[in-house]
Amino acid sequence: MAGNFWKSSHYEEWLLHPQELELGRREDCEVLTKEQLLKLHIFYANFIQTLGEHALLRQQVIATASVYFKRFYVRNSLRSVDPLLMSLTSIHLAAIVEECDMQTGSKLTQAYSGAVKSKFRDYFSVECPFNYQTVLECEFLLLEMMDCCLIVYHPYRPLMQYVSDISDDTLLPVAWRIVNDTYRSDICLLYPPYLIALACLHMAAVMRKKDIKAWFTELNMDLDQIALITKEVLQLYELWKNFNESKEMREIMEKSPKPKFTKEGAKSYNNAATSSNS
Amino acid sequence: MESNQTGTKVNRYKKIIFLGEGQFATVYKAEDLETHDIVAIKKIKLGKRSETRDGINRTALREIKLLKEIEHENVIGLLNVFFGHNSNVSLVFDFMDTDLEKIIQDSSLVLTARHIKKYMLMTLLGMEYLHSRWVLHRDIKPNNLLINKQGVLKITDFGLAKAYASPSRNYTHQVVTRWYRCPELLYGATLYGTGVDIWATGCILAELFLRVPFLQGDNDIAQLYRIFEVFGNATEEVWPGVSNLPSYIEIVVKNDKYNLSDIFTAASEDTIQLLVSMLMLNPAKRCTATDALKSAYFSRKPSPTISHQLPLPQECSSLANDEAVSSEHKKRTLDDGRASVAKKSSPCNCDLSGSITADCNTVSGFRTVQRV
Repeated sequence: MAGNFWKSSHYEEWLLHPQELELGRREDCEVLTKEQLLKLHIFYANFIQTLGEHALLRQQVIATASVYFKRFYVRNSLRSVDPLLMSLTSIHLAAIVEECDMQTGSKLTQAYSGAVKSKFRDYFSVECPFNYQTVLECEFLLLEMMDCCLIVYHPYRPLMQYVSDISDDTLLPVAWRIVNDTYRSDICLLYPPYLIALACLHMAAVMRKKDIKAWFTELNMDLDQIALITKEVLQLYELWKNFNESKEMREIMEKSPKPKFTKEGAKSYNNAATSSNS
Repeated sequence: MESNQTGTKVNRYKKIIFLGEGQFATVYKAEDLETHDIVAIKKIKLGKRSETRDGINRTALREIKLLKEIEHENVIGLLNVFFGHNSNVSLVFDFMDTDLEKIIQDSSLVLTARHIKKYMLMTLLGMEYLHSRWVLHRDIKPNNLLINKQGVLKITDFGLAKAYASPSRNYTHQVVTRWYRCPELLYGATLYGTGVDIWATGCILAELFLRVPFLQGDNDIAQLYRIFEVFGNATEEVWPGVSNLPSYIEIVVKNDKYNLSDIFTAASEDTIQLLVSMLMLNPAKRCTATDALKSAYFSRKPSPTISHQLPLPQECSSLANDEAVSSEHKKRTLDDGRASVAKKSSPCNCDLSGSITADCNTVSGFRTVQRV
């Protein structure tokens, strides 16, 4: 949807300050190191990406799902809902919101099995541990935690505008891929999409050795922000490069807080809790 | 912590009275205990099988999704959403006293040209805003235009609305209540734009004059026939590409097309002009909400009424006790209320009586012509 970003719920409620992010993750950080938590997010973002591809969803839907997933765990500990269940739920809700509905649960579980078979056999069982009903119940929780803000703005659209303005098509695929990668990090929670698009475009230009300095100067805007995002993207790549999934992920998953039976909240999530404990 | 939050949200509203029941929801009038505003709470039904199987009702989800991003004087405000037990969802809206359908059908109310202009102005302002936010309403009809005691009109019911210009561009054509459905939808078009809302608004403008729905067809073919009777046949000359539409069939109406000024004898020249441009057969030639607002109709006299001088049905204009409201609504759900509303009579707002007598004649004038 191409409404007005400056009047959107995304801008008004969901551009977070880094401190808000830290505060929201305090509980998880008591158990996991900060680096481990970031790696866990990379891992699940990868999973959501693969899941979305197997459900034949467009990139924008997958991006929306990734943002939903992150929004949920800013306000909730990993303890509250199994992240695997939340990945499924995010994809499902994003598909409905972006009007490319999956209609039935079987499509979701098929996509799940496909995704697990392709890359995640070591971590999850091929049989989906959650039934569709659980996903649907979890959807309510996700909706509530996001305060019903469903429309997410992405850097893709502004990126396309900028590229056509520079009239250099060679930069688009490179920048596009960098944008995809930013969803592995918290960048999408911290910065407005048009700035992310500019930062990615800038990086693409550097990689392709294209000089677009003149165009950037004409933009007449705060380049510090763009530099900041660029820095974060580079940090992400650094972390990602040194992330040995098969070695580290097991430890992270074992250590990370798990849903438990508690008085409050147990009712609808006990399915999730039992299946992830087993 | 979270459950506390929901707890306070639920307790924030005190139910006053049951208002009515729709296909997907029950509606209550309630008081917001924090602000002491009167609100309408729409509780989405969770049916036994089908709805729970699909999770959150899609219609409700669309409504939440779009209304969360929208804020305009003439569009209904989604004030809050809360989640109760058993995963049910309730939406909190501005409370509105009546709707345009009731006003049109209430024969005791007289609608002057100034009133009509005000209704149109508010509708089009709301619509212009929606379209500028790339939202198609897709179900514009008089009972989706709510009006409160202050005379402010708000567009409601976004269950069919859709963000347009999004990449998945094939839309369903089974939208919009038939009498307000434009010819391209009747021909099964799956690529359409703001024209669908404009056509419906044009029909409402006509209805405000006639006091009965302008184009009434019993089925899609009859609806098209009715449209062509008035506006002439949809030929390739007036509407290039029409014959390529998915369910195109050639319908030839024998009579010459009507002259709109013969149907709306007392409507001014600029009103007819606006009607014609909103009810163009070819969607590409139909005006936009902005065009309509800039048309001579709005720049020429008479000027639109001030909101709080708009007529209201009796039960709203007096301090209606809630029981009367509730029984009225129950009746409405039983038999669509068409006859029952009309029986009620009330003197209309006295401060306008000067202009009323003249307009009474014009209004009945429209009616007789309609029968022709």
